[in-house]
Amino acid sequence: MSEMWVNMGPQHPMTHGLWNLRVKIDGEVIVDADPEMGFLHRGIEKICEYRRYNEVVTLMDRTCYVAGLSWEHVYLMAVEQALGVSVPARAEYIRVMSHELQRLASHIMWYAAFVQDIGLMTPFLYGMRDRDLILDLLQSYTGARMTYEYMRVGGVRNDVPVGFTDRCRKVMDWLEEKIHDYEALCDRSDIFLKRTVGLGILKAKECLDLGVTGPMLRAAGVPRDLRRDHPYSAYPELDFVIPTHDGADVYGRYRVRMEEMRQSIAIVRQTLEWLDHHPGRVLAEKVPRFVGTPTPPPGRESYILRRGYPKGRGFAAIEEPHGEALAYVINEGAEHPYRVKFRSPVMVNIAAAKDYLVGYRVSDIPPIMGSVDICVGESDR
Amino acid sequence: MAATSAPPPPPTPPPAAVKKTAPAPGPQGLAGLVVIPMATAAKQFVKSLWRPSTIVYPYERLEDPEFRKRVAVQSGRPIGVGEVWDNYRGVHALNIATCISCNLCAFSCPDVCIEMVNVDLGNGKSKKCPEIDYGKCSFCGFCSDACPEGCLTMTSNYTITTNHRSEMVYSPQRMYSIYQTKLPMNPIRQERPVNEDAILLDQDLCIGCNACARDCPTKCITMIDIPKPQPKPGEKLPKRIWKEPMVNDADCVRCGTCISVCPKECLYWGAHP
Amino acid sequence: MTVTLYDVAYWLSSHLVALATGTSASNLPGGPWTTAAVALAWLVTGIIVFAASLVNTLILIWWERKLLGRFMDRRGAMHVGFAGLLQNLADGLKLFRKQVFSPREADQFGYYLAPTAYMVTSIILLGFLPVSTGFVGGSVPLSLLLALAIFSFAPLFIFVGSWSSNNKYSLIGGMRTAAQLVAYEIPLLLAVVSVVLLTGSFDLTTIVMDQARYGWFWLPLILGLVVFSVAMLAEMERIPFDLPEAEAELVEGWSTEYGGMLFAMTMLGDYVRGLVGSYLIVLLFLGGWTLPGPLAPLAAFPLGGIVWFQIKTYLVFGVFIWVRAALPRVRTDQLLQVGWKRMLPLSLANIVIAAALVVWGWPHLTWPAL
Repeated sequence: MSEMWVNMGPQHPMTHGLWNLRVKIDGEVIVDADPEMGFLHRGIEKICEYRRYNEVVTLMDRTCYVAGLSWEHVYLMAVEQALGVSVPARAEYIRVMSHELQRLASHIMWYAAFVQDIGLMTPFLYGMRDRDLILDLLQSYTGARMTYEYMRVGGVRNDVPVGFTDRCRKVMDWLEEKIHDYEALCDRSDIFLKRTVGLGILKAKECLDLGVTGPMLRAAGVPRDLRRDHPYSAYPELDFVIPTHDGADVYGRYRVRMEEMRQSIAIVRQTLEWLDHHPGRVLAEKVPRFVGTPTPPPGRESYILRRGYPKGRGFAAIEEPHGEALAYVINEGAEHPYRVKFRSPVMVNIAAAKDYLVGYRVSDIPPIMGSVDICVGESDR
Repeated sequence: MAATSAPPPPPTPPPAAVKKTAPAPGPQGLAGLVVIPMATAAKQFVKSLWRPSTIVYPYERLEDPEFRKRVAVQSGRPIGVGEVWDNYRGVHALNIATCISCNLCAFSCPDVCIEMVNVDLGNGKSKKCPEIDYGKCSFCGFCSDACPEGCLTMTSNYTITTNHRSEMVYSPQRMYSIYQTKLPMNPIRQERPVNEDAILLDQDLCIGCNACARDCPTKCITMIDIPKPQPKPGEKLPKRIWKEPMVNDADCVRCGTCISVCPKECLYWGAHP
Repeated sequence: MTVTLYDVAYWLSSHLVALATGTSASNLPGGPWTTAAVALAWLVTGIIVFAASLVNTLILIWWERKLLGRFMDRRGAMHVGFAGLLQNLADGLKLFRKQVFSPREADQFGYYLAPTAYMVTSIILLGFLPVSTGFVGGSVPLSLLLALAIFSFAPLFIFVGSWSSNNKYSLIGGMRTAAQLVAYEIPLLLAVVSVVLLTGSFDLTTIVMDQARYGWFWLPLILGLVVFSVAMLAEMERIPFDLPEAEAELVEGWSTEYGGMLFAMTMLGDYVRGLVGSYLIVLLFLGGWTLPGPLAPLAAFPLGGIVWFQIKTYLVFGVFIWVRAALPRVRTDQLLQVGWKRMLPLSLANIVIAAALVVWGWPHLTWPAL
């Protein structure tokens, strides 16, 4: 049989979302790959220009449906820089804790979907079960399970409830135990190793050339992690380790994520310890009016011109579960951001698909693309 | 990066802590082929034989505290301790009695799903209260955050299944009946940032028409008399009522109603005096 | 000679015909009347086998759903019928009520033929597999050979279906099926050869009776049992060898384009093949409907044989479900490597063992004086 193009997507079990991977196959071997993105483009960056600063937070949750709090965090860091708002320390710690819980949830979700791609459905259910506990935790202080809308300009909406830290510690203990189960089903299974080791190799240099970040980069042996390299929020005061792997393959990405989950648990425990001993405000004392309360409907906006609000620009970068997420906010003195720009790590990681797919087999596409940790909502925005 | 207001400056980042994870283990023989994975699955099988972790949703509900306790005990999962549902953002509850019709909830709604409708209070009186379309609502909770009186809160009720879209529009009375059921309610936001801005007046433009004071939901604006200046010869005094609004800043909820009703656009947001 | 289901049906139908023609059942008038009696008997047998296999398959799917659920810390079907027992029936009815359609560019004949033939050939198998002494649709002296022959029809129909669907996923799935089933057919047959060597018969009833007399074959032929089970897993297209319908990359493999009733037929065919596979393992290696010596009285009640046979079958299938819960899917090349490089030598070694046992005078082993 001669070569042929096969569309994997937009509706396809491998895609985990709405995107199209066109692969050219020769028998079972991939000779070319061409990812097509943009099916889920909702124009979030443009919508941001018509929403007040706080209201954009509702869009951030919808940007990535598995890591909403991370996106809220990066957006608000940029906004706070642009508006010159300072954040109380307790809020920073709560944000870091939320961010790490979100990373745990995202990695567990990744694990569940990834292993199901290889044909093992059991860990999918295990992963969903354990992720549910994290969602319970997040719900207990943010008020929702997926669309949190929790962070605000100048801090977070409310403090964690009484008894939260103990509950959280229990869940962390449970998760630490369950990660062993995950590994027993994967690391100790020869079939799993056969399906992952030496596949989808993307070496360190190629990663850096293509802008690939996150666990994919660390699996290639580059210890780059913004939490340590460009520390933000409360991370400078926390102690954690950056796992790397030499393989640059699917197995390495799996390994790195598993270790990152352990590190996230450690970070959450440290933040819980801190939160126990440092009560205080979680929202800035003073924020610009257009951030604090809303304004009358359009048509009566001439008053805005009466006062020159401070202009500014904000830039923030965080280590999101999928990679490095960047946000850039331009504040022109209005109550809406003038322009918001996001950099999604997933977009870049998928765009490099050709470099790590060619030469492998059709059966390898699900594990390789699964190991990228795709969240289309985030890459298409 | 956003500056933290934490008292001590952040210490220098810890030295590079990098940990190389173990390389992939080699073939593990029969143990790796079948024994260990199957033993792991069997372990879970034995554990979930009596009670799997799933919740049989319509019959068992996570917000039921009795059930939470039972599940935590039976399935061994660390759930169900403590009141998890206090913060939940579900269907709104509205206390009509304390609503001041300030419109802030409708203003703050990113989805534009809140409309202020007239509520008949009996004895010929009526006032405007929010009516929410749950077909549009995204349950972000900005409305209850914005509510200055704490009369619009969110409950732990999340079942809004209906047969028709029009039934998803909840009238104020319906939300009041939810309020009366005393479900666990989202507490009023604990901390509200102080606004930097206040209502300021451009005295040259004001005509003393009383519109702002009339429409102020908190009645924090009073019209005070101002002296009528003596016109110089040849000068024509502006045609106006010689009164001026004065805002009681402590009571002001900064809803901006006065600004939007002012016919001369003489009220504006300004720096806090 | 055992009395089969067909014999009973023929007895009934011949008496019916005798009643209609006014003769005695022992010497019917020849010609169309005898033909009618035979046809009626086959029809009745077929309907009973079909109904029994359908019910059995539905219960098997239920068993898989429940068991897999527990492995995954969930419950499985639980609402329709007692503990969800009727859920599969409801699913099946829903599928059968759906519109039957085919892709415009598909080869219509092949498209409709494939699932039909796939299901029918699977169900025919159950017609001559004995489930207990005398409980068999039709008595065939070479039933084992016939069963395996019909069992290996499936790749042909799968390939026809995959080609006619005019879909790239289907095509790749069909290719994989062909490669996989051919690769595993050989170890499967070689494993069966060892059993035949020990019994000297292709009749499944004889094989079971031999086991009842001399001990079950799994002990001397443990290698054969392993090879047969693994090959059977591949033949049933179940995880870890479900490459033909690897849903992660090939959507649903060769049955991607099938919907509604046609899909239900492929699904049913799959599970009937699963049932047949478990039956064969029980029949060939695990003593069929018999129980080992001291436990034999437990099967002495009426229909006891059938009950034990079913219990064994479900336990065997339970192991397959367990495997499904614990192991991921292998890759095509790895699958073929396992088939050709591991299973084939193992099955050959198994034959050597069986042959040696026969040489040493199985079942009464006399060690040769060396």
